[in-house]
Amino acid sequence: MMLEIRNLHKAFGSLEVLKGIDVNLEKGKVLAIIGPSGSGKTTLLRCINLLEMPDQGTMKLSDRELDFQPGRKISSREVTELRKHTGMVFQSYNLFPHKNVMDNIMEGPVVVQKKDKAQAFKTAQALLEKVGLGDRGSYYPHQLSGGQQQRVGIARAMAMEPDVLLFDEPTSALDPELVGEVLRVIKQLALEGRTMVIVTHEMKFAADVADHVILMDGGHIIEQGPPDQVINHPQSARAQQFMNRISGEDI
Amino acid sequence: MNDRQIQIVLDSFWPLFEAALKYTLPLAISSFAIGLLLAVLTALAQISGVRILKFIARVYVWIIRGTPLLVQLFIIFYGLPTIGIILPAFVAALIGFSLSVGAYGSEIVRSAIQSVPKGQWEAAYSIGMTRGQALRRVILPQAARVSVPPLANSFIGLVKDTSLASSITYIELFYKSQQVVARTYEALILYAEAAVIYLIFTSVLFVLQSYLEKRLGRSLSS
Repeated sequence: MMLEIRNLHKAFGSLEVLKGIDVNLEKGKVLAIIGPSGSGKTTLLRCINLLEMPDQGTMKLSDRELDFQPGRKISSREVTELRKHTGMVFQSYNLFPHKNVMDNIMEGPVVVQKKDKAQAFKTAQALLEKVGLGDRGSYYPHQLSGGQQQRVGIARAMAMEPDVLLFDEPTSALDPELVGEVLRVIKQLALEGRTMVIVTHEMKFAADVADHVILMDGGHIIEQGPPDQVINHPQSARAQQFMNRISGEDI
Repeated sequence: MNDRQIQIVLDSFWPLFEAALKYTLPLAISSFAIGLLLAVLTALAQISGVRILKFIARVYVWIIRGTPLLVQLFIIFYGLPTIGIILPAFVAALIGFSLSVGAYGSEIVRSAIQSVPKGQWEAAYSIGMTRGQALRRVILPQAARVSVPPLANSFIGLVKDTSLASSITYIELFYKSQQVVARTYEALILYAEAAVIYLIFTSVLFVLQSYLEKRLGRSLSS
């Protein structure tokens, strides 16, 4: 298993957002997390790289295991160590506006991983080619379209050579005509066998790239399995209701 | 103006201008540099999670902002000698103005840091940065750009405020003009001349300020 989450709990004040989540993800597989807004899916994703600190439960990423208990603080060294092995792509890109595309991508490898600059540059250039932006290295984020910025965001996350890539609704902030170019890049990564967790509203895309789909509602996983089963043949009434509403929106 | 007055203006112009160059500006520049460092440290203390640092920073800003600069200068220059601390006028002025810039500047720096979107912290953390790395590499460079226009205003204000140092015997532009008045009894003409010289320096700074803002505006447009 690349990622193993057991009985994960998270509350914001008195609001319980995750009420005991279990996730298993094998190396090279793609997990899609879907569900209505407020279901806890983004919080779950943010717990994986500790942008949110879980209150309770265990998480194992590759060979690093973390045990969360109320009142027990995970050391900041453990936190950064885990983050070095995860990559995150944000809904609103969050590129560094004061750095050009190349420096955005090289920042992690050079500053955090202390890699050789020339080597990091080569890797970054290769990643830019991969996301179709080989000629945009010297551009600043504000000179790029949303779709291009998000592809840079993907390259930045990949530059850390993470064990798992996390996507937080990567196309939600994009104009409809720019969604395709980003999804194509993500799909390409899936075909290459990257381990990924994707929170998304794009059902067709989830059905297309995911090996496993989790449907969340009210802080629980209410349905999970292969995409065809969860998306097209959901078992529970609540899941059917959600899927009907989503497919209604598609029309 | 009669011939004598014109002669006084001409004779005093260079000594006054020189006093501004040699004493007013160096005091303003050096206390701004030290003050800026203090401002950043104070702002960092205020946003840090460390309660004692927060408390010290808050008390410092409270005292400096809540008391007149002139009174602070008098305490440092005329007050401290009674407990054995005797400082030259320049050092006393430097301390007073640096503390002032540090306190007011910390508010500017703090709000600039807080104006950087939360997503920037998260992006920095997501690539494994520590809090310090995120601050240095991602947050402060962006905050610096935001704080340039208000800090430029502080500096221009500081150049004018250095005239207060005349009251603790620091011989800068204004003190110099007072000396000439004492000799010639031409208060209106000499103080107006001093005002014009301040205006020359601040006008240059206004031009620099708008140039800086335009450059920053270009690189920030998104």
